[in-house]
Amino acid sequence: MMEYFEPKSISEALSVLEKHGADAKVIAGGTDVMVDIKFKEEPGGLVNIKKLPGLTGIKENGGSLRIGALTTIRDLETSALVREKLPALWESSHQFASLQVRNTATIGGNICRASPSGETLAPLLVLEATGKCVFSDGEKVQPFTSFFQGPGKSVLGAKGLLTEIDVPYPAPGSKSVYLKHAVRGAMDIAMVGVAVLLTPDAGKNNIQDVRIGLGAVAPTPVRASKTEALLRGKPLSASLLKEAAAMAASESSPITDQRSSAEYRRWIVEALTRRGLEQTWKAATGKEVA
Amino acid sequence: MSVTINTKINGQSVSASADASTSLLEFLRDTLELKGSKLCCNTGECGACTVIYNGKPINSCVTMAADANGAEITTIEGLADGDKLHPVQQAFIDTGAVQCGYCTPGYIMSVKALLDRTTKPTAEDIEEAVSGNICRCTGYAKIVDAIQLAAQKLQLR
Repeated sequence: MMEYFEPKSISEALSVLEKHGADAKVIAGGTDVMVDIKFKEEPGGLVNIKKLPGLTGIKENGGSLRIGALTTIRDLETSALVREKLPALWESSHQFASLQVRNTATIGGNICRASPSGETLAPLLVLEATGKCVFSDGEKVQPFTSFFQGPGKSVLGAKGLLTEIDVPYPAPGSKSVYLKHAVRGAMDIAMVGVAVLLTPDAGKNNIQDVRIGLGAVAPTPVRASKTEALLRGKPLSASLLKEAAAMAASESSPITDQRSSAEYRRWIVEALTRRGLEQTWKAATGKEVA
Repeated sequence: MSVTINTKINGQSVSASADASTSLLEFLRDTLELKGSKLCCNTGECGACTVIYNGKPINSCVTMAADANGAEITTIEGLADGDKLHPVQQAFIDTGAVQCGYCTPGYIMSVKALLDRTTKPTAEDIEEAVSGNICRCTGYAKIVDAIQLAAQKLQLR
């Protein structure tokens, strides 16, 4: 029989995880964990953190947005601040399953699930967001670029909790997009998700900075860092765009599964990277790709 | 492990216990014998189990029964006023938006939640509100007709 815990504070939750973390699973919205319980295996216990106080809400914090880990995806989607300041993150919350799921699922759950296809993850990587990870012996602020360790695995291990997400505002003049490829629109798990954030230089002639996040095409969401390095400091020409898109595809390491083949996923990475770079370049500089 | 659940369902206080692994849908159907919410995909993809939880439509199949504690929940059984159907229910009948009927309670709850938010939904609002509900019989056109008819009826109230 499965054990059940409903801690009333973060410290109580941490001591429950200290003792039972190896067998028990943390549950928040439940939209992933309940499916596991029904179709895979019941964990030894459930630690329901849904009612922990102080972990919801979206607040401006100087140059960033602070998002409580239990904030629902629908709260992100309906936040004017998220839509205005972090359009790629907003787009991923908008493309996130159904209204029913968005009303329940939490951003912390989407992150801690550490699924390579987690909808919000590629945007969080390009935004260089960080997570506040708490453990019974202390806490640390972890960039999401080094948070994920494999499908379902993160630096939290079995005993840590993510309490807050901090998303810095992109540099002024930056443009970002999140592009998702799926058969059934938002309802489907992404075959590929690509987030692009592009910052032009002062004269809007060159790419000063660019960040490309790839979802569902590696054991974790990843940044296409070689492609980013190739693009920095240059104007986006047609030949550079083609080269960059192909390089992003070569930086992915997708698998074949029921949603698509690895080969198809690489093509889609190439297409979405090209599209994302084109769109952000045009929006940021007002120029066509020459 | 058994969890005690104190909740309000369709306006009535309910106290019952359920195993921690129980979904809200199983709690409604098997413990409370409210069979209107339907078990279909059991993964949060089809919307047949939609109920209104603290004013918001959710999939009861992927929600823990324990999360009903302290919440207010409306199910399809809570819509009619005695023998008088809710305008959304009546609109589905009047437009012929029902065939096999299995998806219908979920649709009606999604639409009820939509029309609680606004009685003048745009085409986009309608699409968003029911994009998490699947119907394999009707082809959706009559369902959209039903939603528009229900919205008109509610505006006249």
